[in-house]
Amino acid sequence: MAIFEWISFVAVVFILPPLVLGVLCKTKARLQNRIGASIFQPYFDLYKLFSKGETVSEVTSWIFRNAAAINFAVVIVVALLVPWLTFKPAFVGADLILVIYMFALTRFFTVLAALDAGSAFSGFGASREVTMAMLVEPAVIFCFASLACVARTSDLSVIFSCDNFSLSHNNALWLMAGLGLFLSSLVELSRMPVDDPTTHLELTMVHEAMILENSGPNLALVLFTHYLKMCILWGIAAQCFLRSISYFWTVGPLIQGALSLGALFCMGVIVAIIEGTLVKLRWTKLPQFIAFAVAMGLFCVLIAVMRG
Amino acid sequence: MAVSADIFLDLVSIVSLPVILAIFSYVNPIIAFTRKITAAAYWVEALIIGCIFWPILMGQTQGLVINENFRIDRLAVCFLLLTAFVFAAALTHADFLFGQEETDEHGTLKSVRLKTFYLCINLFFLSMCSIFVSNNLGCLWMSIEATTLSSAPLVYFERTKNALEATWKYLIVCSVGIALALLGTVFIFAASQHGHLEQGTLIITDLISQADKLDYPLMRFGFILCLLGYGTKAGIFPLHSWLPDAHSEAPAPASAILSGALLNGALFGIWRITQIIMGSHFHNQIMQILLGMGAITVLAAALFLIRQHGFKRMWAYSSIENVGIMLVAIGLGSAALFFLQAINHSIVKVALFLLSGNIVHAGGSKKLYNLHGILKSCPAWGCLLTLGLFAITGAPPFGTFLSKISILAVLADRGSWILIGILLFATSLAFMSLSVHVGRVLFGGAKTDFQAFKVFQTSVVPIILLCCSVILGLVIFPSYWSFIK
Amino acid sequence: MILDTFSILAISSAVLAILMLGTMYLRANLNFYALHTLAIAMETAWMAQKIHDEHLYWVAFFIALLKVVIIPRYLAWVIRNIDVESDSGSFIPAPVAMLTGIGMLGASYLLSVQLSSLWGDIDSRIGAMAAMSVFFTGVLLMLSRKIAIGQIIGFLVLENGIYLFALTQTHGMPLIIEMGLLLEVLVVVMIFGLVVFRIKKSFEHIDVSRLTNLRE
Repeated sequence: MAIFEWISFVAVVFILPPLVLGVLCKTKARLQNRIGASIFQPYFDLYKLFSKGETVSEVTSWIFRNAAAINFAVVIVVALLVPWLTFKPAFVGADLILVIYMFALTRFFTVLAALDAGSAFSGFGASREVTMAMLVEPAVIFCFASLACVARTSDLSVIFSCDNFSLSHNNALWLMAGLGLFLSSLVELSRMPVDDPTTHLELTMVHEAMILENSGPNLALVLFTHYLKMCILWGIAAQCFLRSISYFWTVGPLIQGALSLGALFCMGVIVAIIEGTLVKLRWTKLPQFIAFAVAMGLFCVLIAVMRG
Repeated sequence: MAVSADIFLDLVSIVSLPVILAIFSYVNPIIAFTRKITAAAYWVEALIIGCIFWPILMGQTQGLVINENFRIDRLAVCFLLLTAFVFAAALTHADFLFGQEETDEHGTLKSVRLKTFYLCINLFFLSMCSIFVSNNLGCLWMSIEATTLSSAPLVYFERTKNALEATWKYLIVCSVGIALALLGTVFIFAASQHGHLEQGTLIITDLISQADKLDYPLMRFGFILCLLGYGTKAGIFPLHSWLPDAHSEAPAPASAILSGALLNGALFGIWRITQIIMGSHFHNQIMQILLGMGAITVLAAALFLIRQHGFKRMWAYSSIENVGIMLVAIGLGSAALFFLQAINHSIVKVALFLLSGNIVHAGGSKKLYNLHGILKSCPAWGCLLTLGLFAITGAPPFGTFLSKISILAVLADRGSWILIGILLFATSLAFMSLSVHVGRVLFGGAKTDFQAFKVFQTSVVPIILLCCSVILGLVIFPSYWSFIK
Repeated sequence: MILDTFSILAISSAVLAILMLGTMYLRANLNFYALHTLAIAMETAWMAQKIHDEHLYWVAFFIALLKVVIIPRYLAWVIRNIDVESDSGSFIPAPVAMLTGIGMLGASYLLSVQLSSLWGDIDSRIGAMAAMSVFFTGVLLMLSRKIAIGQIIGFLVLENGIYLFALTQTHGMPLIIEMGLLLEVLVVVMIFGLVVFRIKKSFEHIDVSRLTNLRE
């Protein structure tokens, strides 16, 4: 059984992320009355990039070459630690602080690599990325910490384990935590109200600006890491939403697994709808948007405190 | 409770007149006719009210119960009469003033504005009346809110930017204040539910008779919130910000009505709540709050009076000062003192606002430094203004002297010397600053030629009102002392 | 904490009111206001069903009609006509106001615990908490908005807080009073709307913090 879990999980880690993005792009295209590319298009893009050659600026140091690989490795570990799907092989010590700091580590290397290349736009993007990360950090910590506070443990796999019934009737807390994590994931992943992922205007780009200098397999690795991170963050938000529905607690593991996969794709569709309807916020208006994520986090804290 | 046919007819005769006038003034295209008929109708209205409620006024009958939500007692009749009188006086003057404005060069009055004015005046009168006859805290609240809404168009009469600003402030500040009073009313209702009553009630007479059974902490909350809420409407010190703006920007008759009737209405709301508190054992602390707020308001108004630039603003602050004194009277728990101060203040203040309206209109400016030499250019107005000044500050032959000295006497009886000190200091300060400001307006070289103005017509109403004040001061004086004791 | 429908409705009205603080876009504010009032209307209906009081059904219906449909539509119409989209915000920026609002929610909770002797059961305690929170949110809204429409919305939320308090603590006031209040609110908003039109016409803006001619 454990072997089966391992195989399915590893397969999901490597196969799922581009597919979620594909679904997202397809939905978005249909919303805009376009046929759109096939949902498997991200795979073809990755394959194309892997088979290309790579151009590296002469002035860059080892950081630029290795940042993508480091990030990839870190995110793979995070994917193993964080319970973003229910059928995840058991891992000990998935401490929430550790997870948050590992995400911070990837951001650190991304920013360093961006600065390393010395391009003006990369510096731009790096500065924005760090500012947003700083603003959104409290939201993530509040959401996780209030869950941890109610569950009396900081181990994410225990908090999210389905036999942990101390949390099973806290629909409001789960809902708020889900909303908070989802809103902050939009910021962390540079999705629509914060940054337009399809833009080609360097002045407004955040994440895309940082990876302007990457090319070939290096870019492919960066992109895949980004997709995986996307899946993890949306997956964890989807898990929170699922747990706010009482029905979810009563069904068996197989249905739970199917539901969480479905929820992940649902998140993709929801994000596509958001991106289809909202406009990108001006940079100065961003704190107002992020404040909503923080507010959700604070609501979680209030609920957790009032319960005790 | 069934309303007997007799009472019903009485009520119809009182209510019908303003209602008919309201409709008539909006439909009638000839404004001059509306002006005259409205003025006449309000004298008739005052007469009708006086005749119908004469037994209650003389204390021959206890009060008149209309239904469970409306009830008329002696104080209510007094205030109804006073309000009708103030409206009648102000509207009579308005007839002359608007007639004047139509003929002279400023005459840009649109008929729509006057139509709205007369429509709202009548609605305003109706809502004022319903304040005094409400026997239900909810109805009381609604009536006071209705006075705000119906009087806002009066403030906006001039259609200038300043008038608009004053209207906005008046609406927003009073609405928020009144919302606090609503919260207070909810608290009082909760107090009646949580206390030892059979069921919750908002009927004022029931609350008064069972005041001891109310839940005290909730009742106290409710009282303080109501005091703040209705106090905003009455212009109690920290919440007075709308009052000088609205009074100075409204046309003279409207300012006179705001000052002479509206403030009384708001204070009447506070009085009703105080009556409930007075029925319980715990009223001492609450009465101290009222006395303190009153004294602070008087003091603050006197300090504001020192530095004034607007002619009508000055009288508005003087109104705040008098509101403070009325609040002290309420704090003493004496309906008689409250009404005495209210009637004296209303009569004199109406006269002063009407007179200042003339002067501002003739002088073409509301600023104190643009107005001087009234005594030379128009001796009649100058003399009246001087008399009015003495009357409002409480100089002896006038009624205000009587009311202020009575309040001080009762305070002295209780031995609250600090309050007496504050009140004396503040009233003398107000007297000095008002004298200085009015002195500047009176003396000096004549700047404007007032020949175009019909001096006699526009002085009639102030003369009558000041005479009333003197009569109040001289006639009631001996018999009054027995009434208070 | 296992919440029943009553508490969930009360708290969600408080949360929706707080979210109004976070955005300066008037349209979004009006939508949140409609949702927030809908929660209050449903709370009224729930209360009617709980204490078997028929008149509260009527109150719920009229709240839904007036405050959820008519008033937001009217204000949206005003906004469209005077051509404003968002508030520029006063000395309290929107994010700070929203976080303060959440702080106020916590403070209301503490207050309601302090006063628990007054409201016996848990339902009325949570109701009191939500009502106080909505009330404070209304005050914050009025403080953090600069233009006239924002102030009106703040006033409406404040009014809702008072109503929610009356509903949860006294189980509804007499019918005539409730109806009077609703009518009064409607008239107030209509007059406010008209005044806003006038302000726009005379001053060519509706920023009430710039109306300072009369200040001494």
